[in-house]
Amino acid sequence: MLLTTVIVFGLMRLLPGDPILLLVEGAQTEVSDETIDRLRAMYGLDEPIYVQYVIWLKNMLTGDLGWSFQTNQRVWDIMRVRILPTVQIGILGWVMAILVGIPLGLLAATSPGSWRDWLSTAGSLIGAAMPYFLIGGLLIYIVALRLKWLPASGFVSPFDNPIDSLKGSIMPAITLGIGLAAIVMRQTRSSFLEVLQQGYIRTARAKGLSRRRVIVSHAFKNAILPVVTILGIELGALFSGAVITETIFAVPGIGRLLVDSILARDYPTIQAVVLFITLAVVIANLLVDITYSFLDPRIRQSVSHG
Amino acid sequence: MDSSAALVSGTVRTGRSPFREGLKRFFRNRLAIIGLVLVTVEVVFALFASVLTPYDPNVMDYKALLQSPSAQHLLGTDELGRDILTRMMYGARLSLIVGISAVSIAVCLGVPFGLISGYVGGAFDEIMMRVVDSVMALPALVLALTIAAVLGSGLVNATIAIAVVTAPTYTRLVRGQVLAIKQNDYVVAAQSIGAPTWRVLVRHLLPNTFSPVIVQASLGIGFAIILESSMSFIGLGAMPPTPSWGNMVQIGFQFLEIAPWCVLAPATAIFLAVLGFNMLGDGLRDALDPQSGN
Repeated sequence: MLLTTVIVFGLMRLLPGDPILLLVEGAQTEVSDETIDRLRAMYGLDEPIYVQYVIWLKNMLTGDLGWSFQTNQRVWDIMRVRILPTVQIGILGWVMAILVGIPLGLLAATSPGSWRDWLSTAGSLIGAAMPYFLIGGLLIYIVALRLKWLPASGFVSPFDNPIDSLKGSIMPAITLGIGLAAIVMRQTRSSFLEVLQQGYIRTARAKGLSRRRVIVSHAFKNAILPVVTILGIELGALFSGAVITETIFAVPGIGRLLVDSILARDYPTIQAVVLFITLAVVIANLLVDITYSFLDPRIRQSVSHG
Repeated sequence: MDSSAALVSGTVRTGRSPFREGLKRFFRNRLAIIGLVLVTVEVVFALFASVLTPYDPNVMDYKALLQSPSAQHLLGTDELGRDILTRMMYGARLSLIVGISAVSIAVCLGVPFGLISGYVGGAFDEIMMRVVDSVMALPALVLALTIAAVLGSGLVNATIAIAVVTAPTYTRLVRGQVLAIKQNDYVVAAQSIGAPTWRVLVRHLLPNTFSPVIVQASLGIGFAIILESSMSFIGLGAMPPTPSWGNMVQIGFQFLEIAPWCVLAPATAIFLAVLGFNMLGDGLRDALDPQSGN
């Protein structure tokens, strides 16, 4: 995480040109050299690079994300209203991927070689290759513009109107979730195929337990571990997806904020957003590790003994 | 060549050529064949775009704005009356150039570091892997966009950004492969007869990383196509009027209600290209390393 902060900070400092000159570029009146020096001191850009990094990191850790070059507002004030749409759509997409991916993967694994397996494998290949533009374009054209079932763009806060909020989030969530569902489906299939060939599964079946009972009580917990790992790893991909999905559906989220700040070359905001995304991914992976220990008693034991 | 020399140079031959075996396995795999066909179609479009279509990708025709698909324009026209199929063919050229260039740069950056990291081990390996982990912790598109923001928009910068983002994958892959094979007899034998480090790396270890790198490169071209089109869609890749699938989609969204083909045609092209490279990559993996497939 610390090294990632160095990368994020270093990237921004590799910028060609002086950010302060960029800042005053759009000014209506002539800006004096003294003003430029004052601005440079205000943003701490007159310090050596390592001092700038330490100050920046300290500010980030204390929640001071700096000021936006573009709007002259605190970056945190801009960011905090953008978190809810991204989190809401991300969670919906994630849940959709689980609800679609795991049952279909299980269905394919329990009947290998059948038409269901073939369909599921083809579905996972197609889903993983579908760009967000195609899913989003098809959904907006068919569901929003032709059938007029759901709004084509925008976001309503669930605190203002929960029904409209859900309606506005369904299409972005599907767009975001299909790719992940395909990956989850593929992982579930291969993971269950492997576990179902184990000796203890044969023993359980030989003892007369039903197929359903064997899958639910014996296979599921072991086979689901790699799927949980994938769900954690792919959280980063959800943020990449949010950048595109929020642009397609005009959702005012973190992804859209990143695009806007990149196009406006608003570096303090870019830094803060990238750092926020990294932190979210790291925390999510930590949560996956904790979930792991709940699912697998061997890991729980090794942690408590370690 | 006597048997010990053959052992050292790693060229011991069994009855059947592994390459032929792999080729046989590849052509028995139906999905791999579909992938190969899709990729071939894209390559043919890219190479022969100027022969296959009578239209120029950038010439506007104000009498044919946003026309629906017809015999004259098989996939319709865009907001400036340009033939969409023509622009898609030229877009295929661009996406292939970016995809292949980005993957080539990523391989040239990632493979040497992976080779050295895996072989040398110790502190160098430790530092290298932490750097790789840190880059891989950032979502690919987010990092690519950030790098492009630093470098500025444009195709060359987008290609560099994609290469930097994907290079750690090759470093990790090759390092893992080197760790798995560096204790093999032929490597130890080469070391014991005093072969210099570069020779062990280049002659004995590098060739054994080719299979996974080729598989990853095939999948990587698909991923690079997605990243390039995403960056062009946002405005940090190819700039209009350059025919790129990403910026065709971006402009097309403004006319989605009256001319859905402007979005759906280039988006489908991206889908088929990525699907092709993914299937080809999976097929190559099953053919070159049958034990790793599921």
